[in-house]
Amino acid sequence: MGPLHGYAIAARLEQVSRGALVANMGTLYPGLMRLEQRGLIRASWGVTENQRKARFYSITAAGKRMLASEKRDWERMVSIIQALFAEPS
Amino acid sequence: MMFREVIAVLREWCYRLRETIWPRSRDSELRAELAHHLELAEEDLRRRGYSPADAARLARARCGQSENVIERLREQRSVPWFGIFTLDVKLGLRKLRQSLGLTLIGGLAMSVSFGIILTVFMYFDVIVWSDSVPLEDGDQIVAIQIWDPENSRRSETAFEDFERWRTELRSLEEIGAFRTVERRMVHADGQIERVSVAAVSAAGFRVARVAPVLGRTLVEEDERAGAEPVVVIGYDQWQTQFNGDNAVLGRALRLNDTFHTIVGVMPPDFGFPINHRLWIPLLSDSPGLLPAPPAGAVFARLKTDVTLAGAQAELSAAGLLSSGFNSEQSEPLRPTVVRYAANFINDTSPDDLAGQAWQARLIIFFVSFLLIPPCANIALLVYARTVTRQEEIAVRTALGASRGRIVLQLFIEMLVLSTLAAGVALAGVRIVLVFVRRALARELERLPFWLDFDLSPEMIAFAAILAVVATLVIGLFPALKATASFARPGLGALDHRNRKQLGPMWTMLVVAQVAFSFAALPSAIEFGWGVLREAVLGPGFEAGRYLTAQLSFDVDGATRSLETDPQIAAQFNDARSALIRQLEADPRVTTRVTTATAVPGGGAWTRVRAEEAPESSPQPEEPGLRFGPSLVRSVRVDDRYFEAFDIPILTGRAFQAGEYGATSAAVIVSATFAQTVFGGANPLGRRLRYIPPPGQTASQSDAGPWYEIVGVVADRPANPYRGSIFHPAAQNEIYPASIGFRVGSDSAGLREKLRDTAALDPALRVARVQTLEELYDEQATGNYIGGFALIVGGLSVLLLSAAGTYALMAFTVNQRRREIGIRMALGARPRKLLAGIFRRALRQVSIGAALGVAVALLIQVYLPADRVGGLDVPGVLPCAVALMVAVGLIAAFGPARRTLSVDPTNVLREGG
Repeated sequence: MGPLHGYAIAARLEQVSRGALVANMGTLYPGLMRLEQRGLIRASWGVTENQRKARFYSITAAGKRMLASEKRDWERMVSIIQALFAEPS
Repeated sequence: MMFREVIAVLREWCYRLRETIWPRSRDSELRAELAHHLELAEEDLRRRGYSPADAARLARARCGQSENVIERLREQRSVPWFGIFTLDVKLGLRKLRQSLGLTLIGGLAMSVSFGIILTVFMYFDVIVWSDSVPLEDGDQIVAIQIWDPENSRRSETAFEDFERWRTELRSLEEIGAFRTVERRMVHADGQIERVSVAAVSAAGFRVARVAPVLGRTLVEEDERAGAEPVVVIGYDQWQTQFNGDNAVLGRALRLNDTFHTIVGVMPPDFGFPINHRLWIPLLSDSPGLLPAPPAGAVFARLKTDVTLAGAQAELSAAGLLSSGFNSEQSEPLRPTVVRYAANFINDTSPDDLAGQAWQARLIIFFVSFLLIPPCANIALLVYARTVTRQEEIAVRTALGASRGRIVLQLFIEMLVLSTLAAGVALAGVRIVLVFVRRALARELERLPFWLDFDLSPEMIAFAAILAVVATLVIGLFPALKATASFARPGLGALDHRNRKQLGPMWTMLVVAQVAFSFAALPSAIEFGWGVLREAVLGPGFEAGRYLTAQLSFDVDGATRSLETDPQIAAQFNDARSALIRQLEADPRVTTRVTTATAVPGGGAWTRVRAEEAPESSPQPEEPGLRFGPSLVRSVRVDDRYFEAFDIPILTGRAFQAGEYGATSAAVIVSATFAQTVFGGANPLGRRLRYIPPPGQTASQSDAGPWYEIVGVVADRPANPYRGSIFHPAAQNEIYPASIGFRVGSDSAGLREKLRDTAALDPALRVARVQTLEELYDEQATGNYIGGFALIVGGLSVLLLSAAGTYALMAFTVNQRRREIGIRMALGARPRKLLAGIFRRALRQVSIGAALGVAVALLIQVYLPADRVGGLDVPGVLPCAVALMVAVGLIAAFGPARRTLSVDPTNVLREGG
C-alpha cells in the first residue's frame, strides 16, 4: 500500500476493522501529526486520482522498524494473555 | 521504554519546542487538508444515496468540527503551558514596570541578601566542599597527612616513612612528595630574583597527568644522588625570561649557586603541587623530614576501585616507622589519607573534615535566613497591591479562571522579580570579585591552583533555588491570602463591602520594620564611617615621601628559626645593619633608617585594657580594670622611629635611651588611642595591659605585664580606624622587621638600590618595597569594598522601611476610597481628611519609630560603636532620625496625593 491521504487512512481503518474503528478528524490528524513529529511517517502534498490537491502520508524506515517492534510486542502480549486464559481451571 | 522510542519522543518535543519558539503558521495548510477530508466524506455519503444537504450534515457530524481540530493540532504543535507561561512572564514584566517602586526597592533589597548568601556559598564551595582538584580524575588525587592529635596540627613526615610507603602501599599509586624551597634565581643580566621552587618527585607529574608543552618532565633518574641538576620551568617563566624561545631546552638556569639544565616547559596555569612555577627533583638523599603542609606533603593517586577508606585501612596497618621524633607525646601521630585539597586548608583534624562540610551547609542554611526581612516586606507590598487588584482578579474569576490559575500568575510575576534580583546579585558578586582580584592580586597569586573564586554552575543553581524559595514567600503566600475569599466565585467578589483587612501580622511587620530601621541606621552609619574615614580623609601627611620594606631571612632546615636560634638572629642583624648603613650613606635618604615591627598604619590588631583612673570608684567590677577592651595596633619600634616618620610628640616624653629593651614597661600611645580610651582625661602615667583574644580566657595572673604610658604622639595616618601603642625595642630584637625612611627625591631609584643591596646577602629577603602612600592606597581598596557593602545594606534597610510605610498608607487609601469620596463630597477639608485617614497608619509608624529610637539609644549607651569596631559619630542619632522621618514623609507623599485626587462622583458611582 503506497502513500495515503487522511480520509483514505480513516476509511481504510474503518473498513479493516469492519466499522469498529471510526476515526474522526479530531483523533486522526493530531495522531498523524505526532507520528510525523516523531519521524515515523512523512507527509507531502500531491494530487489525487480526481486531480485534487491532497496531503499524502507514507511510512518512513524508522516507522517500519517501530511498527515491527510494536507488532512483536503486541503478539507477545496476546500470546501471554491467551496462555493465561487457556490455563485449565 | 526502548531507546528507539525515547529518540522518537525526544524528536517530537524538539519539534514542538522549535514550533513554540519560532511558530510557523500552518493553519491554512491544515484547513485545506481538513476541507478535502470533509469533501471526500460528503462524496462518499452521496454515493451511498444521501441527499447533498444530508451528506454535508452527516459528514460534519462524523468527522468533527474543523476549528476544534485546528485547535487540537495547534496544541500538538507546541509545548503545553509554555505559551501561558510566556504570557505570564510578559504580564509579570509589565506589572513590575507599572509598580516601579516595588520592583526597585524589593529587587535591590533581595539582591543585597542574595549577594551576601551567594558570597558565603562561593567561599564554602571553593574551600570546604570541593572534593576534587582541576586535574584529570582530580578526585582520585590524595595526600598522606601526618596528624598530630595532641597539638591539633598537621605534622612533618619522616623521609623514611615516605620511602617505605612508596614500596609497600598497594592501594595507592604514583606516591610522591614535595617540599617548597626558596632559591635566588640569577638572571642573565645579573639581576637576582627570589623564587619558590618545588623540589618534587618525578611521580608528581604522573599524578597531575599534565604533559609538558616542551621537552620532558622530571624522571626518576634525576632524583639519584650525583645526577645532573635539572629544572622544569613554567610557561610564564618561559615567556618572560626566555621570550618563548623553543631552544630553551638545554640552557642553564642558576638557582643559588647551582646551574640547572632546563629539560621541560609546563603549560600555562599548571601549578601542581600548589602554585609552583619551577620544579627541581626531590633528591633521594634529602635528609630528615618533609615539612608539614603547605610547605611540603606526600601525595598519590588512589588506584582504580580503591576507596579513601580502603587506602586508609592499609595505611593505618603500615603505620609510621618511628614515632621517635615526637616520642614525648601521649597521643601518637596518625598517618591519614585525605583528599588532596583538604591537606592544605588549615589544621583540621581528618575526622572533622566531613563535619566541617556539614557545618558549612548549616551555616549556609542560617545565612539564608537573611532573605526573610526583605522577603517579608516585599510580601507585604505584594499583598497590599494584590488586594488593590481585587476587581481585576474578580473579573478573571468570573470569566472562568480558577483560583489556582490566578495564584500561579501572581507567583510567576514574583518569580520574574526574584529571578531578576538573583541575576543582579550574581552580576554584583562578579563585579566585586573583579575589584577584590585587583586589590589582592599579590595575595591571590600565592593561592593554590585549585582555588578559583568565580561564578560556578553550582552557584548559579543555588541562586535559582534561592529565587524560587524567595518567590514562595513573596508570591505564593500573599497570593493565597489575597485570593482566599474567591471560594465564593463570581462577580460577588466585586462587592465593595467585601474588603480585605490588613491583619495584625502585617501591621506588626511594618512596626517591627520601622523600629529596626530606626535602631540599626545610626549603628550602620557609625560602622560605615569607621571603615571609610581613613580612606576618604587621606593620610594627612606626605605619605609618598616615605619608603618602607619588609625584611626577612632565609633559614634552611625545618628545626632552625630566627626566633630560637641566636646564631641565625645574629646573622640576620648583621645583614640588616649592613643594609641600613648602605641606605643611610645615600644622599637621597634624608632621615636615619628606622626598624619596627610595622610601619605607621600597619601592624597586627590586638586588644588591651587600660587601668582605672585613680580617682574612680573604689569597687570596679573587675579589680584594677575599668575600661572595656580596645582594639589597637601594637608596634615595637627602635629609637629612630618617630624621627624617621616625622611623628611629633604631643604630650609627655619620648623613650629614654635605657628603655629600648624587651623588659621596658614604658609605652607611647597615639592621639586616637588616648582619645578613644581615656576620653578627655590625661593618659600620662596610666597603665594598660594586653588581654587574650575573645574565646581564650586568662586569669588575672597570666594576663600579661602592665605598661605605663609616658607620652602621646600624633596619628600617622591622620584619621586612623583605631589607635596605636608603641613599645621601645633594641634594633636587634625586632622581628619581623620593617624598615622605613624619608626620601628626598627619586624614590624609584632608591627602591632599586634597596633591592640590589639586599641581594648581596644570599639569605636576606626584601618584600613589599613601597611608599606609605602605596600601602594606604592598598588598604583603602579593602575599606571601600567594606564601606560599599555597608552603604548598600543600610540603603536597603532604609528603602524597605520606606516601602513598609508606603504599603501601609497605600493600603489604607485603597480600603477607604469610598469613605474618602463621601467625605470629600460632604466638603471635608484636605488637611483634616488626611489626618483622619492616616491617623491609624501614622500611629503604627510612630510606635515603630519610638521603639527603634529607644533601642538605638540603648545601643549608644551600652554598646558604643568604638568598642565594637565602629567609630563614634557625634549627633548621629538625631541625624538618622531626621533622615528616617524625611524618608517616611516621602513614602507617605504618594498615598496622600492619591487621597486628595479621589473623585467623589466616580467613587459613589462605583459604590452604587
